[in-house]
Amino acid sequence: MDVSADESTERSLRELIAAAELTRAPELESLMTLLGHRLIRGGRLAEAADLVNSASTHGVRLGAAARQLAQAQLRSGDTTHAAVTIREVLKRDPSDVEAQRLLYRLLKGAGQGVEAHGALNRLVELDPTSACATFAYRERPKLGEIAGRPVRIALLSSYVLDPLVPFLDVECRRAGLTPEFYIAPYNQYTQDILSPASGLYAFGPDIVFLALDLEDLFAAVRGLPSIEELARSKAEIHGTIVALVRELRSRSSALIVVHELALNSPSPHGILDNRRGDGLVQWTADLDRDLAQALTAETHTFLLPLRAILARVGLERGQSRKLRYMARMRHADPALRELARASIRYIKPLKGLTRKCVVVDLDGTLWGGVVGELGPEGIQLGPAAPGIEYVDFQEALLNLTKRGILLAICSKNNPDDVLPVLRDHKHMVLREEHFSAMRINWRNKAENLAELAAELNIGRDALVFLDDNPVERELVRQMLPEVLVVEMPKDASQYRSTLEDLTDFELLAVTREDEQRGNQYQANRKRQALEQSSGSLDQYLHSLEIRAEIGSAQAHHVARLVQMFNKTNQFNTTTRRYQTPDVQRFVASTDRHVYVLDVADRFGDHGLVGAAVVREEGDAWVIDNVLLSCRVMGLSVETALLTEISDAAARRGVTRLAGEFIPTPKNAPCADFFGRHGFRADGEAGGTQRWVLDLDAGRIETPSWITATAKRAT
Amino acid sequence: MSSVEEVVARVFDAEPDSLDASSSPESVEGWDSMGHLNLIAALEKDFNVSIDIGDAMEMVSVKRIREILLDYGVRA
Repeated sequence: MDVSADESTERSLRELIAAAELTRAPELESLMTLLGHRLIRGGRLAEAADLVNSASTHGVRLGAAARQLAQAQLRSGDTTHAAVTIREVLKRDPSDVEAQRLLYRLLKGAGQGVEAHGALNRLVELDPTSACATFAYRERPKLGEIAGRPVRIALLSSYVLDPLVPFLDVECRRAGLTPEFYIAPYNQYTQDILSPASGLYAFGPDIVFLALDLEDLFAAVRGLPSIEELARSKAEIHGTIVALVRELRSRSSALIVVHELALNSPSPHGILDNRRGDGLVQWTADLDRDLAQALTAETHTFLLPLRAILARVGLERGQSRKLRYMARMRHADPALRELARASIRYIKPLKGLTRKCVVVDLDGTLWGGVVGELGPEGIQLGPAAPGIEYVDFQEALLNLTKRGILLAICSKNNPDDVLPVLRDHKHMVLREEHFSAMRINWRNKAENLAELAAELNIGRDALVFLDDNPVERELVRQMLPEVLVVEMPKDASQYRSTLEDLTDFELLAVTREDEQRGNQYQANRKRQALEQSSGSLDQYLHSLEIRAEIGSAQAHHVARLVQMFNKTNQFNTTTRRYQTPDVQRFVASTDRHVYVLDVADRFGDHGLVGAAVVREEGDAWVIDNVLLSCRVMGLSVETALLTEISDAAARRGVTRLAGEFIPTPKNAPCADFFGRHGFRADGEAGGTQRWVLDLDAGRIETPSWITATAKRAT
Repeated sequence: MSSVEEVVARVFDAEPDSLDASSSPESVEGWDSMGHLNLIAALEKDFNVSIDIGDAMEMVSVKRIREILLDYGVRA
């Protein structure tokens, strides 16, 4: 190596750079990159770092060189400087995949498990390919377990669906879940379902996806089947799937999600397809419609709208014939990603991860412009562009309220500027009454959000925050990491689709309580006003005119009960997350008693807000679980529920009532439930406290401010 | 343009220095049947070619990949 020539090359490079810096010549970037590579190759990392810094002060982005520098720093063990370099690269280009990969390595090396998991999630978001998702999937076990809620997912398929797993894994991790997967052996879904000793049942899934390909069930569909063949096959396919679902249901209480059957290719009849009796497009649609109807009648079973999901990416991008021929796969990367996003929509509500409230900013979010400067008539909001994009977005928000999602406002504004818009602006879709709570002030938004959660009596992890201002978003992300802060696009015409892409608002069933939730918070504001005007708590409680009705659960209560079992965290004595088939079994059985509590007061009907499961154990009744919606906590209505349970037990000659309590990080509000009703502690086993009450010692009295009625089964 | 080694390194998260012409499913962790599909997809994207199934199944080492890519007019 000719050292002197090398040194002179470097000297001339530096001279050229100095000259280019003065003249701001466009070749500065390439010159600096050259020098950077040279320094890194020579192991002169500190000098390279100086160069990268000086480049950024001159407004030059040395992406590739900076990434190389970080890699070299990492290899030399200088993680501190590597971190600085990588973060600098990502600050300038947040979508730099390679830099994100380095950041992940760095966090993993530093033993920062939680952050490393987050970096992997982001990495797959930036590079949504099977290769990258598979990399992330394999890395997870190396990071050590984090305290994610577990979920057990089974995939049964007539084709190779394994590549969905890495994508679904990422979706679960983003939701804070730690998934376990079971994949049935290739094309053995039938054996797996029919055999009680199969791997599927040994696995014990929470959710089963049944993905059958139309061509695998009906090979002749690839040709030109006759009308008779089509009719026969339709009945056969329908019968096969319904039978499989029923078998599965008889052995598992898992949520069952069946993929719709879709055509993989254009109809072989071409443009004549919908003009003939044996056309395939209409036939497939009919098959799926019948299937949807049949599955609606089955417990805890859904039909996944595969066609609409795949339509989002299109046949062109979503399918690869090559993958089909080489590996019996059906879906290419973009389709797998879309399918994973659709699948998580079932998993989130199953695991009680449905978010309950959307908190919106106003200026720039619900309308264009700043109302404090432009006045109500100056803002962008109306039937034509610009302005129509905000109307459309507001309509999507209003739709969410119809399934019980609450809306709240958090805006830096003067209430006097904003309220006229909410009340009188001709084109506002959302009005004051649609918002369950508001914070319109100049305070820190993180504090406001925390207050909103407290006022609505929901967890901060139930909030979604929508704000066009990235500074506010970052503040909330930092201070309240449990809030879902949505990365709003700069372009308001994408607001609505951004909201619709969120997978956090799904419900497995909409109950009467969901539909009326918005009104209930309205009534709450009136209750609060009354509380403030009352002289004492006792006087307030009496003036509420509370009515509690306790009855035995019937079949029509099941949907609401399942929702409560899975959503209630605070007043939930054992947090046993019963699913539909469990609750149906309890309701039908004679050795379990399920009680439901309906509460109303002078401001309105709260609906079904309490429940208890009691099981008979020898001569004692054991209270397996007691739940109370946070909306009625503090009214002592749970005492009315307990009164009815103890009375019923006494009527049946039972002398001893026992209760179980399993403490969780969230259920402190009911830790004293048994204690304050006269139960005495009776030991603890495996994290479950046991409490007992001798029924002959006396009756549990319902407080005088509650009018309780028992609706007894005859 | 990247080299075959670079693509293999990226797909299987291997150190580029640990790869050579003889690298194959036996020597690279993660280069299994699913991994092979991901590798083919990455080669197709990076080198802007569509690889015939017979060829894809023969691409069982860095050396073979390089040879076969030559048939597609790609020097990598």
